[in-house]
Amino acid sequence: MEREILSEIKKDYILSRLRDGERIDGRKFDEYREIQIKTGVIPRAEGSALVKIGNTQVLVGVKMQVGAPFPDTPDKGILITNAELVPLASPTFEPGPPNENAIELARVVDRGIRESEAIDLQKLCIEEGEKVWLVFVDIHVLDDDGNLMDTSALAAIAALLTTTVPAERFEIGENFNLPVQNVPIAVTSLIVDEKILVDPSRDELSVGENLVTITTDKDENIVAIQKSGGFILMEEKFYELIDISIRKGREIRKKLLDIVGVSL
Amino acid sequence: MTGILSRKLVLPGDFLSNNPKLAGQGTYVEQGKVYSKILGLLDRTESCIRVIPLKGKYLPSQGDTVIGIVKEVTSNGWLIDINSPYPAFLPLTEYPDVKPNKKINEIMDIGDIVITKVLNIDPKMRVTLTMKDKICRIIRSGRVVAINPARIPRVIGKKGSMIKLLKSELDIQIIVGQNGLIWLNGDRRRVSIGEEAIYKIEDEAHIEGLTDRITELIKKRKGELMNEETRGA
Amino acid sequence: MKKPEGLKLIVDGRRLDGRRPDELRPLKVEAGVLKRADGSCYLEMGNNKIMAAVYGPRELHPRHLQDPNKAIIRYRYNMAPFSVEERKRPGPDRRSVEISKVSREALEPVIIRELYPRSTIDIFVEVLQADAGTRTACINAASVALVDAGIAMKGMVTAVAVGKADGVLVLDPMKEEDFYGEADMPFAFLIVNEKIKGITLLQMDGKLTSEEAKKALEMAKSAALEIYKHQRKAIMKKYTGED
Repeated sequence: MEREILSEIKKDYILSRLRDGERIDGRKFDEYREIQIKTGVIPRAEGSALVKIGNTQVLVGVKMQVGAPFPDTPDKGILITNAELVPLASPTFEPGPPNENAIELARVVDRGIRESEAIDLQKLCIEEGEKVWLVFVDIHVLDDDGNLMDTSALAAIAALLTTTVPAERFEIGENFNLPVQNVPIAVTSLIVDEKILVDPSRDELSVGENLVTITTDKDENIVAIQKSGGFILMEEKFYELIDISIRKGREIRKKLLDIVGVSL
Repeated sequence: MTGILSRKLVLPGDFLSNNPKLAGQGTYVEQGKVYSKILGLLDRTESCIRVIPLKGKYLPSQGDTVIGIVKEVTSNGWLIDINSPYPAFLPLTEYPDVKPNKKINEIMDIGDIVITKVLNIDPKMRVTLTMKDKICRIIRSGRVVAINPARIPRVIGKKGSMIKLLKSELDIQIIVGQNGLIWLNGDRRRVSIGEEAIYKIEDEAHIEGLTDRITELIKKRKGELMNEETRGA
Repeated sequence: MKKPEGLKLIVDGRRLDGRRPDELRPLKVEAGVLKRADGSCYLEMGNNKIMAAVYGPRELHPRHLQDPNKAIIRYRYNMAPFSVEERKRPGPDRRSVEISKVSREALEPVIIRELYPRSTIDIFVEVLQADAGTRTACINAASVALVDAGIAMKGMVTAVAVGKADGVLVLDPMKEEDFYGEADMPFAFLIVNEKIKGITLLQMDGKLTSEEAKKALEMAKSAALEIYKHQRKAIMKKYTGED
């Protein structure tokens, strides 16, 4: 009950400020909150990253195992992405198996990695038809202050960029860096009152979860698009969203690669 | 049944008019234009454009006569199924002439069919019924017919013309519930003809020439009845 | 999925099933086919066979799920075990959950939900035979079923996907194009007064340039208006017997 009242009040305030051309936290319409990226935070995992966008925090851990390949791709490693919206991250998250939001989050992050071919899965073949590397990307949301998608996607690629394949543990040779050859970046925007707000905060989402995520790769191809939320998207916004997502994707990619100290 | 429509069939989103002042039932207005919001028959007059629904659930309205079935007996009334997404409640206080020592379920029990009126609908969509109206009663004879609620207006007809036709031609009692249930009472065989006529109206409500076809049907069946009677004599 | 060596998806401007890049597969739509459901639709798009049913508005239990101001919409996309080449275990998998979510979101803003507070409108769509583009075929069937149920809507929802095969944008991808192609982009549109009013479903996976994504939208829009004619015809036929 209390949450609903606060939500309604916030909603009105946000909409009235928007009419004046402002966001409640003073950001520009295409401005992200402060982005912090830390990798190697879970030494036990093969790769890990903690990303904060504003107050939103997501921890991604990468674990690797040896297993059998899929029958129709005997020479390729396997990527599996999962997301947990654990109850400590938000008063609205409940314990239990992944709900549709967690599933959507994982699948869209996965799409970005897979369609950009960020990992060359063929380099993860150990013995064709018998043994390949399985890459588990596990998204653990720690604090939901809006825009879990971009935070999770960024943490996932940051973790992968700093993952070491544990060949020694499986007695298959020397450890080596996971071969990452692309850097997908997801850019999510909230559409409200004909305006596009990039990187919406939880407060801003109280006006409605009307979101579009566009993921681009290092060559500025689009590798994933997801409209999320029961709203009608106007055509002109689609064109604008593509341009914004390419531009912001470029900026965030540069920041990530600088921090991680990698060049592609 | 299929045939020539009595009116134009429209779908949701069909453009109807540039004049929002004419927007009536079954339409919506956006940016000064009137569109249909349901599948239905277009009814255009000088003062109003509306779309008559062909289908849809019964949504209760204050003052409606509804026929329902008792689902549950509580300590202070009865929960009644009125064939709607919204459950309805008839409080004991809205039942006329309650004898002091009678138990609630002795007045009406689960499975009883009642004719009631919609007294009130609260903002939480809780429907309160009343039986304090002379049309209301517990049904103990006759037959109840259930049809698509959207066809009820056709059973009643313009200015009650169809229902008057049925009542006068068949000489039976008919009470129509807005929720799609209709009570027929009187001579068993003529009630049967009435039932058949109502199902035919439901089936052909949107096809031209219905009144004639109903008149014909009733004449035919009454003729058959008379033949039986004369042969029997 | 990488293409097998030497497999060409487009030869002399024709696709593996003979279509040109901007051609739709054959479409069959029938409204009001189920007795118990409030609204229903059977639809075939290529070899896809879809059955959609709508129940509602109806009472929603438990009470705490109800919205005091409008109807809750529920959409369940389900694939029959025999619908695909390799038998699919019954029950929702992660893909079905995501498809159900985005499909529901494609229809929600079009249904005039405020007319039915505290109720639910349940949409059930079964894929009886799958042949690429099931989610768009299902949304087309669901839209017809909703209209058939007499539910108030701003307009119709029409869906279609655009793919990329051998570098060429192709409308309404077939199985091989979906499997071996370079991109898949499903759309759904709100159609009012026979015009596209807005986009209600938008997804993409694969690799497209910004220009290709914009061109795909244009292709999808004209195709949607074609499909809309079929949806309309199906409803008219049910109530008039004419085409």
